[in-house]
Amino acid sequence: MAGCGGGGGEDDGAAGTSCKPASGKVTLQYWSWVPGMDQAVRVWNTEHPDVQVKLRTTPAGNAGTYQNLSNALKAGKAPDLGQIEYDSLASFRLKGGLKDIESCPQVAQAQDKFVDWTWSQVDFGADGKDGVWAIPQDTGPMALYYRKDVFDKLHLEAPTTWAEYEADARVLKKAGKYITHFSQTDPNWFTGLLWQNKATMFERKGDAWKVTVDRPESRQVADYWQKLIDDKLVATDLQGFSPALYKAWNSGEVVTWISAAWGYSTIRDNAASTAGKWAVAPMPQWKEGDQRAGNWGGSTTAVLSGSEHPAEAAEFALWLNTDPKAMEILNRAGGLYPAAKAGLTLPALRKPVGFYGDQKIFDVFKQASGNVDTDFTWGPTMTDTYRFLSDGTSDVTAGKGTLGDVLKRTAADSTDSLRKQSLDVTR
Amino acid sequence: MSRADRPTRRTFAPYAFLAPFFLPFVLFTLLPVGYAFWQSLHKTARTGGTFGRTHSVFSGFEQYADVVREPFFADSVLRVGLFALVQIPVMLLFALVLALLLDSAVARLKRFFRLVYFVPYGIPGVVAALMWASLYDPRLSPITALLESAGIRADLLGPHLVLWSIGNVVTWTYTGYNMLILYSALQALPADIEEAARVDGASGWTTALRIKVPLIRPALVLTGVFSIIGTLQLFTEPQVFRSISTSVTSTYTPNLAAYSLTAGDDYGGAAALSVLLATVTFVLSFAFLRLTNRRQG
Repeated sequence: MAGCGGGGGEDDGAAGTSCKPASGKVTLQYWSWVPGMDQAVRVWNTEHPDVQVKLRTTPAGNAGTYQNLSNALKAGKAPDLGQIEYDSLASFRLKGGLKDIESCPQVAQAQDKFVDWTWSQVDFGADGKDGVWAIPQDTGPMALYYRKDVFDKLHLEAPTTWAEYEADARVLKKAGKYITHFSQTDPNWFTGLLWQNKATMFERKGDAWKVTVDRPESRQVADYWQKLIDDKLVATDLQGFSPALYKAWNSGEVVTWISAAWGYSTIRDNAASTAGKWAVAPMPQWKEGDQRAGNWGGSTTAVLSGSEHPAEAAEFALWLNTDPKAMEILNRAGGLYPAAKAGLTLPALRKPVGFYGDQKIFDVFKQASGNVDTDFTWGPTMTDTYRFLSDGTSDVTAGKGTLGDVLKRTAADSTDSLRKQSLDVTR
Repeated sequence: MSRADRPTRRTFAPYAFLAPFFLPFVLFTLLPVGYAFWQSLHKTARTGGTFGRTHSVFSGFEQYADVVREPFFADSVLRVGLFALVQIPVMLLFALVLALLLDSAVARLKRFFRLVYFVPYGIPGVVAALMWASLYDPRLSPITALLESAGIRADLLGPHLVLWSIGNVVTWTYTGYNMLILYSALQALPADIEEAARVDGASGWTTALRIKVPLIRPALVLTGVFSIIGTLQLFTEPQVFRSISTSVTSTYTPNLAAYSLTAGDDYGGAAALSVLLATVTFVLSFAFLRLTNRRQG
């Protein structure tokens, strides 16, 4: 069989790249969807007349930007910098879309500035630690948002275990309410639940991948939620981030959301009529007394493989995610919870939050952030895995099959995806 | 002008006239189809481990076999087939009735209604889908509230009805467009045909059904072909509905499935699916044309 070169822009950017600052003026292109990013970029541009950043505001990653970035990479027209979530980093590296910036000035020394597990997400873990593929931006340690007023009225306390959560769901159901919604559009939310239970989905052994989507720990999570669905304790006809969900929050039909730190602004901005009534508690635990948290989302700033100015791009990425002014803007306007250690002591993150009844909610997330399992490894074909989870969930809410079946099928289909990308899969 | 010039001019002129159509056709239709076909015959291989270099290798029709074997393939094809069987006749019937009404002598305010019927087509598909989506949403919609007060619980976004909710959006959007084609055909009929019918004592409806409809058969065939092509490529509406209904999967229609495959970097599989879709579209349109022509003859 004759092999042919396929398209441009498929250089892996790995081998012995040097990263020297350019002489003279540099303009960098940057794609991001964080609200308020333009304000942060403006501060940078005023302070760095020689390195100007041009921002393009794009739709959220899975909503279109990744597709556009992939196509731009294939066409050799990708920007210098892009916002990429942790779960998609490996897949971008797989298609040769990222530049190794370890040799760029300041990057190697930056490790200590970031929360430990975020750095292990960008240098690709113990087995394959072979470079630095992005700068961590924010994280999504998860906790339980709940309507304190509703819980108080029904003499319920914030559940500390999943068993209590289910018991509360039954009480709420009798009161005509759903404890939460279970939607098909948020497979990464479900992944956060798996993550909490130490149910990794992929393991990497050298150059081979092992798919571990269907394992006892993930079965436990799936069976639990299947029971809630079967007993109609959760709303299954509401999509995440939809106007209908926001209406159900406002009307008090749906009263909790297990979500990430950045979710505080989602509720604040979309359920305004419930101001002061919400509170935040740690995620319910599988075992009484445990303190585990999952993580949902979080992004990096990555230097893309076509960039001619990696040194300046890396410098900007570091500044953006460690400079106090930038972090303050991204937290206030963008709702981001910083990945930099210094971000955790930002004044804004130590203050009581009015919308949450003056609770110091970020204390909960700070604690959660320390309780996120650092070994979680993303597979290189997460987009596909998410899709299988999402489509499977759609079948489940339509009454076809169980979440356990979904795990089984997702595992098999994810294995297929890896093979289609010509990757080694072990059993 | 000398005689010797003429032959060159004569051979050059038609090409010059064709060029404005032909060049974009080659650039934006033939080349992409060719590229998709080429892509569909190749798959990704890599050297140097997981994150090593990638290159394409020739894989023959392997991608086609893979795609066809996927469970979503049969599901989405059957779904679109069922959709086409129901939605296309309903829409074309609506369009025909509206066109005949507009064309009839008794119709008033013809210009106004022609515009009103056509307006939905001018609204971008995404906007239309979003608008209907909020009308279907049980928690937001006045319609479902009204139905409920009448004792009917209709989950318009649920697994059983969502396909027909999508069908309603498509019908709403394209009826006016098809109506306009049929109406133009009706307008082109010579006036003395209708006069002769009236003299012979035919009623308005008889004239419409027995005389006008057979005469605009070519226009009906045209709208039929357009509808088949459009339905097979159903994409925008289900894509938008995905964000509000929990019942629309990423492989709901073949076109949506092709899009989803590229999101997972399976460009070869997506290309194979697209080429299959293009082939089926071509074959069905062609078969429909042949079928309708034969009946006419």
